[in-house]
Amino acid sequence: MASIEAPARSRSGSAVKRAFERYPFLPALIILVVLIALNGWFQPRSVSLVGMTGQVKTYLALMLLAVAQTYVIYAGDIDLSAGAIVSLVNVVIVGVMAQWGGDGVTIFVALAIGLATGLACGIVNGLVVAALRLQAIVATFATSIFFTGLALYIQPVAGTPAPAAFWRTYGGRILEIPFVFYMAVLFAILLVVLVRTRLSLGLLAVGDGQQEAFQSGLPVTRIRMGGYALCGVFAALAAFCITGDTASGDPLVGGKMTLFSIAAVVLGGSALAGGYGTVVGSVIGALIIGFINSLVFFVGTPSEWQNLVQGAAILLALMTGVLVGRRARA
Amino acid sequence: MSRLQLKGVAKSYGATKALRHADLDIGAGEVHVLMGSNGSGKSTLSKIVAGSVRPDTGEIVLDGKPVTISGPQAARALGIAIFYQELSLAAHRTVAENICLADLPSRGAFVDRKALEARAAKYAALFEGVTGEGFSLDAVVQDLRADQRQLVEIMKTLAGEASVLIFDEATSALDRAQVERFFEILRDLKREGRSIIFISHRMDEIFAIGDRATVIRDGEIVGTRQIADTTPAEIISLMVGAQEEAAAPADAAPARAGAASVLSVRNLSGAGFSDVSFEVRAGEILGFGGLHGQGQSAVLRALFGANPSASGHVELSGKPLHPNNPSVTIRQGVAYVSGDRSRDGVVTGRPILENVMPIHYLRERMVLANPSALAAKALPALQALRTKFAGLGHPISSLSGGNQQKVVIARWLIDRPAVLLLDDPTKGIDLSAKTDLFTLIRKLAAEGMGIVLYASEDAELLDNADRILVFNGGSVRRELTGAERTRFNLYQAAYEAA
Repeated sequence: MASIEAPARSRSGSAVKRAFERYPFLPALIILVVLIALNGWFQPRSVSLVGMTGQVKTYLALMLLAVAQTYVIYAGDIDLSAGAIVSLVNVVIVGVMAQWGGDGVTIFVALAIGLATGLACGIVNGLVVAALRLQAIVATFATSIFFTGLALYIQPVAGTPAPAAFWRTYGGRILEIPFVFYMAVLFAILLVVLVRTRLSLGLLAVGDGQQEAFQSGLPVTRIRMGGYALCGVFAALAAFCITGDTASGDPLVGGKMTLFSIAAVVLGGSALAGGYGTVVGSVIGALIIGFINSLVFFVGTPSEWQNLVQGAAILLALMTGVLVGRRARA
Repeated sequence: MSRLQLKGVAKSYGATKALRHADLDIGAGEVHVLMGSNGSGKSTLSKIVAGSVRPDTGEIVLDGKPVTISGPQAARALGIAIFYQELSLAAHRTVAENICLADLPSRGAFVDRKALEARAAKYAALFEGVTGEGFSLDAVVQDLRADQRQLVEIMKTLAGEASVLIFDEATSALDRAQVERFFEILRDLKREGRSIIFISHRMDEIFAIGDRATVIRDGEIVGTRQIADTTPAEIISLMVGAQEEAAAPADAAPARAGAASVLSVRNLSGAGFSDVSFEVRAGEILGFGGLHGQGQSAVLRALFGANPSASGHVELSGKPLHPNNPSVTIRQGVAYVSGDRSRDGVVTGRPILENVMPIHYLRERMVLANPSALAAKALPALQALRTKFAGLGHPISSLSGGNQQKVVIARWLIDRPAVLLLDDPTKGIDLSAKTDLFTLIRKLAAEGMGIVLYASEDAELLDNADRILVFNGGSVRRELTGAERTRFNLYQAAYEAA
């Protein structure tokens, strides 16, 4: 039969091209390195151990939330309530710790309750989006208001302090190494483990096409719910970091993080449409946002211009990422 | 011993009866061919067996036991695997992941990568040597060619290790060597006692691999034949139906000697078609026929400038036309109406008036518009088509599909084009709207317009086209004129091996 030949595509890509295809976060990594160099140029102390520790301490929460968002975006969904879950878990754990005193055991109990809260929020989102089939963007916007409402009910005003034992540990050192670095390592191990799960692959396959995944016999509803549940758990972990960093409860602390987490996912080279991306990219995306913020500060931008410059810089990073990626793959 | 039996299975989508009544019996170790023209219900029947479509009525019996197939997962559990005509692959995943996707080898919650690679390698090995350049287990599916993707879907189907396998047009993009390898595999499966439902439009393939053939016409099973005892002509006669076969071809418009050629296409090639040449004379309706996706739409879109054409020469009313961009071709007098209204036609959410005017804006290079002057131009165009609407300011979505399509066609009637390209224009519209539409098309032709009509419904083509070019594999296979324009000839040219 006369086979209709598609225009032959060159497959003999160079090593660079292959690398960019395999690691879609490489453009983001390049941007990150440039940003760190710029930070060091304008404020040499920022690239010291102390400076880096501060940076990780501040942005570990955003990294975790970006990863949370990634799992949902893998499947082509979105979670606009991720930040609200952070707020809710924050006031829940601070509330429990304040209620029962701040010793070691209650802290662990509080964290367990916090994880359960995050998981429950994720399952609610999953039910609403995957089982009831409401539009993800609107449904999670609604649940974000709901979760914020719960947080405000639990703790109407910001300011309840977290026990000293908690935030001193988070900001302190063990064996001369800052505690947050242990957390970062644990976080990395967790990500490596999760990449190998069936759920991870299932989410990506669903993101590639729900119809196709359903016809292949994948449990699409369960997989999407799993994505939201995972997102809830990681949002709870992000809340632990926020609590350690700010040392207090605030019912609105996470709200503004939601869109930053989505921006971080996109900066990291993942497709918002689903099916394509990496969690490592999202971590790098969160760090890019962090280093842009500090750079804006270090170059001495007047405070009234900071938002404008920050926004322009994120746009620039996004454009650079797209252009670098396209060049390398072309 | 029959493996799978369907008894009175039926399925409707709204008013459309996709499958009226299917009784089918498939034995163990049998390759059972399903034949039927476009939209006759083959794919619906396959999807019902595979669990991705729920039947309205009817019974399915597997190995003597009545079963309810509640979904694709349930079908897999019952030992039914399917090759989907439109493929079911995850574009960003690797070949290996896609082959094993439906049943991932795992240890606890984790994917067992080694077992996954090993299982995928086993099925990929079946096609070793014919997979072509760039194919490997860790290649990403979206980087593969169409034939390679089809091979992946075949491997995925085989990996189900099912006792009933359905292949819905699994060979349409494969080359000769790939088809032969695939048939060797099918023969092995047969020897193992598996049952295979095989759908293809290639007569030679059907006679090479089939044991029995069942013909479906308009959602109804019209007959089953032993392949050894039948001929391609008999199969085509079954597909055509006795009444249709006897019917005389519709009268062609009297050939106008010396009518000027309005559109002349020479050696046009592009993605999906090659070396297509034809002429359309003023006052003529030229039909494009054949199976779905044999290049008909691609040629029309290329002439309109919506898809790039690689090479060839096009003349419109004697002047060279370079169809690189629709805005250029429209200004030169080319009109294009697609059956895919939502993609190519309707401006969703806007009033009817705005949906009639865009071509006029473009051709007149208008910047500012006066609604009442526009309405005076829009109304006659809409009335010519007997469009039913409450008011020009109402949103287009308030109309039925047929009336929406009339609005889309009306936009071409304000400034008369020289050539009207119709790309399956009646998809999803009701009968009376179809009649209005074809009446108008004939009138436009009588007024001197050149018309090219691609219709996936063969009856529309036979009733309305003065001449028919039958497409097969991206090129024109046969030209039917005058009394040759019968369904039998159309099918024969469309279904023969290309």
